[in-house]
Amino acid sequence: MSVPMIEIRGLRKRFGAHEVLCGVDLEIDASEVVCLIGPSGSGKSTLLRCVNFLESYDAGEVRIAGRLIGYEKGPDEIRRPMAARHLREMRREIGMVFQHFNLWPHMSALRNVAEPLRRVRGLAHAEADERAMAMLTRVGLADKAHAYPSRLSGGQQQRVAIARALAMQPNVMLFDEPTSALDPELVGEVLEAIKSLAAEGMTMLIVTHEMGFAAHVAKRIAFIDEGRIIDDGPPRRVLHESPEPRVRQFFQTYHDRNSF
Amino acid sequence: MSLDVLIHYAPSLIGGFGVTVLCWSLGGALGIALGFVIALMFRLRIAPLSWTLRVFVEVFRGTPFLVQLFLLYAGGPYVGLRLSATAAGVIGLGVYSSAYFAEIFRAGFAAVPVGQIEAAMSVGMAPRDTLLRVTLPAALIAATPPIVNMLVVLSKETVVLSIITVPELMYQMQTMAAETFTAFDSIFAMAAFYWLLVEATSRLGRRLEARVTAFLQEEARPA
Amino acid sequence: MHPEVILHSFGYLAQAAGVTLAISLAGILLGFVIGAGVCVAGTSRRIWAARLAGVYVSVFRGVPLLVLLLFIYYFLAEFGLDVPALVAAIGGLALSSAAYQTEILRGALNAVPKGQAEAAVALGFTRVEIWRRILLPQALRISIPPLINEFILLLKASSLVSVVGIAELTRVSMNIATMTYRPLEAYVGAALFYLAINLVLAGFGGLAERRLAEGAR
Repeated sequence: MSVPMIEIRGLRKRFGAHEVLCGVDLEIDASEVVCLIGPSGSGKSTLLRCVNFLESYDAGEVRIAGRLIGYEKGPDEIRRPMAARHLREMRREIGMVFQHFNLWPHMSALRNVAEPLRRVRGLAHAEADERAMAMLTRVGLADKAHAYPSRLSGGQQQRVAIARALAMQPNVMLFDEPTSALDPELVGEVLEAIKSLAAEGMTMLIVTHEMGFAAHVAKRIAFIDEGRIIDDGPPRRVLHESPEPRVRQFFQTYHDRNSF
Repeated sequence: MSLDVLIHYAPSLIGGFGVTVLCWSLGGALGIALGFVIALMFRLRIAPLSWTLRVFVEVFRGTPFLVQLFLLYAGGPYVGLRLSATAAGVIGLGVYSSAYFAEIFRAGFAAVPVGQIEAAMSVGMAPRDTLLRVTLPAALIAATPPIVNMLVVLSKETVVLSIITVPELMYQMQTMAAETFTAFDSIFAMAAFYWLLVEATSRLGRRLEARVTAFLQEEARPA
Repeated sequence: MHPEVILHSFGYLAQAAGVTLAISLAGILLGFVIGAGVCVAGTSRRIWAARLAGVYVSVFRGVPLLVLLLFIYYFLAEFGLDVPALVAAIGGLALSSAAYQTEILRGALNAVPKGQAEAAVALGFTRVEIWRRILLPQALRISIPPLINEFILLLKASSLVSVVGIAELTRVSMNIATMTYRPLEAYVGAALFYLAINLVLAGFGGLAERRLAEGAR
């Protein structure tokens, strides 16, 4: 049995007095696509952000390919904050796509993708540009390489953001509601891009509201409510025949308005 | 006021304008440089340092420029600082404006959307690169309109320098007015001149702003 | 340093601070009246009124206050008026401040959500009623924090009226400096008074902003 790509055990996190994550367990193997679905305030974004330690966590463990992230255990088994250098090393191998794209507005699409290659992977100018161009072609935006983000539609910006994360050749990709900020007609192009990544065997954890998409692309759906994962299984089962009443209730209102 | 009078005083008036421009540009440059350094030092978050800087900024933003000038020019010698009027004028403008520029830069840094910094963190970018490639450019772009605005304000403050006998335009004009008994005409000409100057610089400034902030247009055009 | 100089002249400085406050208050109130007038003119449908308002703002923001003060002073002297100094001082401050207050009021009017006036129109209010009951009250509330800020700026600008001889804080400190040969102490004393006044005003401004934010929810 190989080590899971992402392993989360007993994860707890509180913001002030409010406990947002109350003991989360989740495992994702290599090339698996897991969609994280739940109501607002359930802690799904927080959970995702703990995976690359954009949020710290108070108890439990998050391991990427077996290595603990955010903290280090010395020979005395006492947990201390991870050295900044090591954290950056680990983050290189994790790609993240944000709900609001977070492209750098003063850089062209090409430069947005090439900059991390130059600064973090240490590639030479020309090589970084080449790879960046290849990535933009991959997401269908080669012709927009020199455009600035303000000139791109939301869907195009998000695809550039995907290219930027992908160019780093990460082992795992995290998506934080990648289509929630998009106009409905632009959602499709982004979902297509994510589908093609799945087809190539990328390990992905996707927080999303797009149930239809999740039904077709995810290997598993994990349902999170009030800081706990209360169902985790094949889309067929979680969406239509979940043993948990809360899950059935959540998807019932969705079924009533849609069908997948 | 006759034309001969004007022609006679033209050299001193032009010279005065030169001094005005000199004081404005040097003072402005000093203010921007000092203000930027102060803003950077705030980011270090060293409590005693931040506290001292905070006091500095509040004092120089909370007192009139004229009082600061008097303190520097008249009070300076009593602490061993003997400055010429022009030097006092430039340093006075520089220190006075630095307090405002420090706040402008601080606001610029605060205006950088945290998401852009998180994007840099999530690819594992080192703090130095994040600062130089992401935070600083964004902060400077955001700070450009207020900086341009402050520079226009500073150009008007240069007339205060005439009170401590700096030979800038206002001072030269007052000399001419006194010597030729044309106070009203001279002041009127002065007012008209400054109005045109400020109007022109404001327009130029707005065009510069538009160029620099072109990146930050909110409208994303559909593909 | 001889700090006792500040102590001895405390009375003079305090009195002068009162003059500074009085002049600044007169300036901002008169400026408000003028500014409101210019603002209304600016929104007028008659092109000449709007244009005139635009020119006013351009002129009185472009001409430095010192130049304006001296201009009014010599202008009045030319026409033989009796108390040129005070009139020039308050007039100059008011005319200059009005130009900035116009913009503040205009911004405040724009900040009132358009939907509120639309709802009033839909309900059948007259134009005058909409202005009186909905737009003006809210615009005034919104404009209080920036107006307090403008008052703080005006207070600092008032130091320039020292050149026309008004016995406000800066002028008095100049006199103290000349009389005691202690310019450092004299001007530090003045600075302390300005800071104290500004601190109190800034406190009011912060209070006003918080109260405003609560009301808006």
